Amino acid sequence: MKPPLNLAKESDVNAIGFTVTRPEDHKQRTLEKMAELRDSMRSLMVMLETCTKCGNCAQQCHSYLGTGDYNNFPAARAELMRRVYKRYFTTAGKMFGRFNGAEEFDEETLSKWVTYFYQCNECRRCARYCPFGIDTAEVTIAARHILSELGIMPKFMQSIASAMIKSGNNMGISKLACLDCVEFMEEEMQEETGLDIKIPVDKPNSDILYVPSSADFFTNVDTMIGVAKMFHHLGVNWTIPSSVLEAANFGLLFNLDVMREQNQRLNAAALELGASLVVQGECGHGWRAAKMYTEGASGPVPFKIMHVLEYCDEHLHELPLRKLPMKVTLHDPCNYSRGGGIIEQPRRIIRACVEEFVEMTPTGADNFCCGGGSGLLMDEMLEIRMQLGKKKAEQIKALGQIDYLAIPCSICKAQIPTVMKHYGLEGFEKGGVMDLVGKAMIYDKPEEE
Amino acid sequence: MSFIAVEGKQVELDEDGFLVEPSDWNEAIVSIFAKSEDVEELTEEHWKVINYLREYFKKFGMAPMVRKMCKDTGLTLKQIYELFPTGPAKGACKLAGLPKPTGCV
Ligand code: SF4
Ligand code: SF4
Repeated sequence: MKPPLNLAKESDVNAIGFTVTRPEDHKQRTLEKMAELRDSMRSLMVMLETCTKCGNCAQQCHSYLGTGDYNNFPAARAELMRRVYKRYFTTAGKMFGRFNGAEEFDEETLSKWVTYFYQCNECRRCARYCPFGIDTAEVTIAARHILSELGIMPKFMQSIASAMIKSGNNMGISKLACLDCVEFMEEEMQEETGLDIKIPVDKPNSDILYVPSSADFFTNVDTMIGVAKMFHHLGVNWTIPSSVLEAANFGLLFNLDVMREQNQRLNAAALELGASLVVQGECGHGWRAAKMYTEGASGPVPFKIMHVLEYCDEHLHELPLRKLPMKVTLHDPCNYSRGGGIIEQPRRIIRACVEEFVEMTPTGADNFCCGGGSGLLMDEMLEIRMQLGKKKAEQIKALGQIDYLAIPCSICKAQIPTVMKHYGLEGFEKGGVMDLVGKAMIYDKPEEE
Repeated sequence: MSFIAVEGKQVELDEDGFLVEPSDWNEAIVSIFAKSEDVEELTEEHWKVINYLREYFKKFGMAPMVRKMCKDTGLTLKQIYELFPTGPAKGACKLAGLPKPTGCV
């Protein structure tokens, strides 16, 4: 069985500091890594022991619904690891082997791990509907971590990790390139507003460190512009760090040590520039990684971490906003609405910026993933990605005509337009929530004719 | 990873069919890549974008912001998609010999 994604070759794996385990040692190394995780991720083992196969989660997983593949049924996916756990870590498994639903670890199992743990979007929707709260995303995170420790990782993840090592961001943006992008965005804002709105880079003694998504420096320019306009209006002392031009943290999506390194880069940048507040840009999983793991990676930190949508929501009444004549809906990024504490803030912001806001169904904490979650943006997975996005397309279709689909996460921003096109849903704009703030800001142009 | 023969020389491509070595780029490669990226005929406008991307990459080591590319070439995003149906990050970068943009694109 050949996994549907391109795996990184050995020289690339080595280039980011990993080694490739020989096939004859796969089993031993996997069991070692599982034993490590058993001790560090206690919740994982509870999840591996508890499932009663009630089937509740099946209809709640867009991955299973979209692909129709049994192994994408959350309990079946988790079972790929559970069987190995039972065989080698429980008394019954050790004594009776296969009789207890336990399974020998072999290359076939390994190849299924690669295939199906990279068809889980880590969206955590299954956990909401499981009577025991079993969160298959945690099993997926553990499995991807173990795979990467064997030297098995998608080329897509490897190339991002490599760019992160070189530049601190996913796209490999150097400081020189960052400054050029900033200059361009400042010119754009000057042309539009007549004001000298700055995006300060590496400014020492800043109160606020704003961490954008690197994609805002390539495709999602309006998100960065919206944020700059907000900070400008509020008159705060802020900067962006060229060393961590990245709210994302793909480590969470394939290797937990890589995640900690990125957390530490963030920590170092905040300390260096003296910020007491770190504001994270529009990125779903990066929010989870920053909020939940920065202190874990670096110990107690002398700054507070907020999401830009929380920050904007808190200051909403101070911003001069007019309502744009638009009908807008919101796609809740999974990492905001399920455990990320961000549900109402984007709604309040959007309502302040546009005339009509409509909810898709289901929404908020029950929303369906876009199908790109956990970094499944590989070109070679396009067909599967479209199946993973099927539920999202159905949700948008049910709304009828809209003008704008707000998607405040860079992975969703990359995945959703392709999904919409694939399912023939066009004729509306797609972009961030901060983009709307930027567009709704009222400016009295000094040289107004 | 694979190789293509260009004017008698073996040129290495990555998993996504992009050049591994940007310095391997030449005009013959553009015609070969054009086919796989749904570009039927290479026009002056294609070359304008390709040359612009190469210049920018030489200076900054990455592809320019999509909006900057539009502004500097005088083309709308729609026109860029008409020229390069697989998009600015894929088709245009590939023909210009740039590495595939990584990250959330
Ligand atoms: S986390 Fe999401 S994609 Fe993964 S099994 Fe659960 S519902 Fe499915
Ligand atoms: S809902 Fe929970 S207990 Fe039921 S099959 Fe799914 S994971 Fe197992």
